[in-house]
Amino acid sequence: MPLSKQELKEIETTLVKLLREEIGPIVKTHTGTNFSSYDDKANEVDLVTVVDKQVEAIIKKELNAKYPNFKFIGEESYVVGETKITADPTFIVDPIDGTTNFIHGYPYSCTSLGLAENGKPVVGAVYNPHLDQLFHGSKGNGAYLNEKKIDVKKRPLTLQKSVVGLEGGAERTEGPDGNFDKKMATYKNLLSDKGGYVHGFRSVGSAAMNMCYVAAGMLDSYWEGGCWAWDVCAGWCILEEAGGRMVGGNKDEWQIPVDRRCYFAIRGGCGEEEQTAYVKSFWSQVEGRLEY
Amino acid sequence: MTPSDLLSIEKFVCDLATNKVGPIIKSKSGTQQTYDLKTGSRKVDIVTVIDKQVEKLIWGELRAEYPDFKFIGEESYMKGVTRITEEPTFIVDPIDGTTNFVHDFPFSCTSIGLTVDKVPVMGVIYNPHLDLLISASKGNGVRINGKDFDYKEKIEGMGPLILNKSVVALQPGSAREGNNFKCKLATFENLLACDGGFIHGFRNLGSSAMTMAYIAMGYLDCYWDGGCYSWDVCAGWCILNETGGRVVGANQSEWDIGVDNRTYLAVRGTKIGSEEDQTKYIEDFWGCVKGKLEYD
Repeated sequence: MPLSKQELKEIETTLVKLLREEIGPIVKTHTGTNFSSYDDKANEVDLVTVVDKQVEAIIKKELNAKYPNFKFIGEESYVVGETKITADPTFIVDPIDGTTNFIHGYPYSCTSLGLAENGKPVVGAVYNPHLDQLFHGSKGNGAYLNEKKIDVKKRPLTLQKSVVGLEGGAERTEGPDGNFDKKMATYKNLLSDKGGYVHGFRSVGSAAMNMCYVAAGMLDSYWEGGCWAWDVCAGWCILEEAGGRMVGGNKDEWQIPVDRRCYFAIRGGCGEEEQTAYVKSFWSQVEGRLEY
Repeated sequence: MTPSDLLSIEKFVCDLATNKVGPIIKSKSGTQQTYDLKTGSRKVDIVTVIDKQVEKLIWGELRAEYPDFKFIGEESYMKGVTRITEEPTFIVDPIDGTTNFVHDFPFSCTSIGLTVDKVPVMGVIYNPHLDLLISASKGNGVRINGKDFDYKEKIEGMGPLILNKSVVALQPGSAREGNNFKCKLATFENLLACDGGFIHGFRNLGSSAMTMAYIAMGYLDCYWDGGCYSWDVCAGWCILNETGGRVVGANQSEWDIGVDNRTYLAVRGTKIGSEEDQTKYIEDFWGCVKGKLEYD
């Protein structure tokens, strides 16, 4: 039996409370104070802090106590090649999304708490304590920014007149087969007057925040490769509840699993056919295929 | 003008920005689905009727209070005709980040600066979406939402200013063809690449004024851009200067530039005793610029 609408709402409320009362204050007080104490992860630009690990431990303990039968996947405890997302209800958690922001004190770090069931995001809560923006939602129950229901105003969606979330990411090795070159070439295509000629791109440095901004209609779309299930799981649910849609970052990937690592999120506020046309015109600007 | 004269102007402009301008920007953000392209401009260079209305409002209020000051605004600017003189001159962007404003991305703001002898001496930036007011005047330091900002303490808590440990604000702007576009994208790529600047990351807020405010607040390390105008940077320039930050040109060796230089590299302040880090940072950054940004 899948979780009912009421059960999902109750989990959402639990996550919101946990973020607002416990986690948010920790993230807020420690930002920009740990510059010298980060250790290098994959390379010098992927920064992990002590606080990151502490916060994940608190979240895991609280959620295990309240939902002992649910599985838990967190950024800090994830093991590449071993950790798998099953059909069981599974919390998918990023204790601090936007670690570089967190280290530098740029006010776009947040905590992202998602729940997947049968491999699909069904609850999401993302909290940026610096700007006091808490986005949350659960399947069938709508999406909210703080206490206000997200209602993306009806308006046309076309590639040229859109603002797109794009990030540099941590993978920076140049070469024709690498993802870095493909990303840069795609950005150029999107911006160029001979390509997409989009209104602009924006980078806030946090995948979860980008997802939520698309959900709220502040961005028209967000294209990304290289991030993980915990970066997008919560935002994905919020996005869908606000009428948005998630597909793959590469051409013709209409259906993707949560851990695809390459995503394209599109806002609501327009019809499904308009979204489909937008996705196709966007994909036509993507140079090559991103591979992870 | 004395510091206390400037402080009283700053206070007046803060009230204007928060009480009269902010509410309009906030309530109209994301509601303007019809907009114009700037005369003779590109498809991505947009302006709304609200930009023009807000500029009129600001101009009217400032003229009533300071009848002898000159006024330069984005919407009333005439290429080749409007010039910045030595006289006290308000330099105003009624809505900086017009694309943000149209799309409801919460980084549109109003930016009101003042120059005397062509030097920025007062600046006020207000973002009503985040309710963030940042203001400064020469010799008086910086205030955030009216409260004195201890930038020295902030900078003490930050890491050293080094290119490959920095977060850089970059914006492609509206020129999407030709040499400047090419130079920008090649430079962005070179800054990110592990064999180039290998910076921690870039951020793009879509508003020059907000970006400069964020540098002054210690959120970002620097901002590199070309194609913007004096009204995009004037207020932020004064605010940044008051926190030990520095504005130079975007191209190699442009150490001394005017407010209307059209290319800028804005860099944050450093700890006391580490001032040479800033100079080195600027030189290292220029070393990553591929080509040259040029505007007429």
